[in-house]
Amino acid sequence: MTAIELKNINKDYGTGISKVQVLSDVSFKAHSGELSLVLGPSGSGKSTFLTIAGGLQRPTSGQVLIDGQDISRFSEKQRDEIRLNQIGFVLQSYNLLSYLSVADQFALVDRVHKGNLSPDRLEKLLQELGIDQLVNKFPDELSGGQNQRVAIARALYTDPAIILADEPTAALDSERVKVVGRLMKEMAKQYDKAVVVVTHDLRLKDFADRIYQIMDGKMTEQPLNA
Amino acid sequence: MFLAVKEIRHEKLRYGLIISMIVLIGYLMFMLMGMMLGLANENTAAIDSWDAKSVVLNKNSNISLSQSLIAKQDLPNLNGHQALVGQTPAVIERAKGATDKQTIQFVGLDSSQFIYQKKMKLSSGHKPHGKNQVVLDEGLKSKGYRLGDQITLNGSTQKYRVVGFAKDAKLNIASIVYGNLTTWQTLKGTGDQFAASGIFSDQKQTVKNKNLKQYSIGTFIEKLPGYAAQNMTFEFMIAFLMVISLIVITVFLYILTMQKIPNYAVLRAQGIPAAYLIGATIGQAVILMVSGTLGALLLMIVSKAAMPSSVPMLINWPLTGILSLALVVLGVAGSLLPVRMISRIDPLDAMR
Repeated sequence: MTAIELKNINKDYGTGISKVQVLSDVSFKAHSGELSLVLGPSGSGKSTFLTIAGGLQRPTSGQVLIDGQDISRFSEKQRDEIRLNQIGFVLQSYNLLSYLSVADQFALVDRVHKGNLSPDRLEKLLQELGIDQLVNKFPDELSGGQNQRVAIARALYTDPAIILADEPTAALDSERVKVVGRLMKEMAKQYDKAVVVVTHDLRLKDFADRIYQIMDGKMTEQPLNA
Repeated sequence: MFLAVKEIRHEKLRYGLIISMIVLIGYLMFMLMGMMLGLANENTAAIDSWDAKSVVLNKNSNISLSQSLIAKQDLPNLNGHQALVGQTPAVIERAKGATDKQTIQFVGLDSSQFIYQKKMKLSSGHKPHGKNQVVLDEGLKSKGYRLGDQITLNGSTQKYRVVGFAKDAKLNIASIVYGNLTTWQTLKGTGDQFAASGIFSDQKQTVKNKNLKQYSIGTFIEKLPGYAAQNMTFEFMIAFLMVISLIVITVFLYILTMQKIPNYAVLRAQGIPAAYLIGATIGQAVILMVSGTLGALLLMIVSKAAMPSSVPMLINWPLTGILSLALVVLGVAGSLLPVRMISRIDPLDAMR
């Protein structure tokens, strides 16, 4: 099932002579239960792609469809709600607040989320990710890997259909890359999420269900065994 | 409030220092106000205790009780709401035993009139009977004066017995010695041609004599020597302090919020509404200001208890409450600048 679809996305920065086209006619689909890898070097436009897919900014033209609705036309408040309820972000910085314990990272989501989040679901999630013993710890008391698991649990907590991850393996050694790759794949399969990982790290290719390449603002799908 | 409380609890040193700063600013303001009120009270405590609404003085006295003399032939028929007051500065000294000389305000009263009858509040002893008895301000106890002491006034040979101590017996920041009008005439050196310095009443008075003029108590108090200038000085000090504290608190909250922008951008990216983050920032300002103000109040109460009684300081709780509220409101108003900054956070910053 298609969880998110980008149709003919163009994104320009600047105007007139200083206009730069960052994305050019990009079309993309991510499916539930699949890990989609978007590869590209620095400056290729992959971060812009992720921010448009995540509703953080609007494309110059084209559509971003979630549940058949074009979220690029939504108001800022509506896009806030989409990000809160339907999209989970895993950022390079692990998006954890330093002054909140692991338990409080989820309590914050509870307070803002309109729907009822289940404590049982959280407990199960923490157990499955092996971080249930860390609930009273603060981010600076955790290892990088533990922080990443908490960030993933945080992204999954609201049960979003889509998980967007930005360079989750930046500065990790090969062993850690394998662990993260497995985790992302499990996230897609076990929780039936459409996981989109934007990275320049080719070591993640082994875990992908689909691979896309962005180069100079143009996206192409690559064969898995290339 | 959730984010605000969690952050304060986690960053105890940082927020402890900020609260300490607010405590010190609040403490300074409360102490200044307490001393202003204390000094103001020492100017007017006696007049306030008489519940006077108006005073009739000699029209050439420039609204000064010390300079006013009411001649006997100008004296109107007095009703039950009027009382003669003869006032003059004097120096008292114990007739026997060592006691420092004290400059006081002698107030002569007529024992048949309302101030003597109803308004003289004694903390010990009894009211003066006859011309050789006096009642002292209870503040003079700390100077060594006791019931039964013999005192002299202005170094004369005439001795007066201390028969009581009165509460709220202060005028022009000096202790009052209550006696009768004959003693006042002697001290003033006027003989019996002058009846008193002024006529106080707990009502409005009508004056028909062209040598006399009626003033409201408010006008009379404003004209007390140094009273208006002193109060205005304190009021300006407190006002300037409030403006400075508003600026300092705003700067602190601004810097704090600036430091949190990357975190807030991440939360915005995750869909946390800006309104929630604004609420957290304002909530944090309220917590800081209320904690700081409560700390300042506590410190003021402790200081007041530890201070010697000779330091004029008065805690007026309604006014202190208003000042506390103003401090909290101004502090929260100071958080509105960072609020503007939060409303403009771009969630895209989380990706940079």
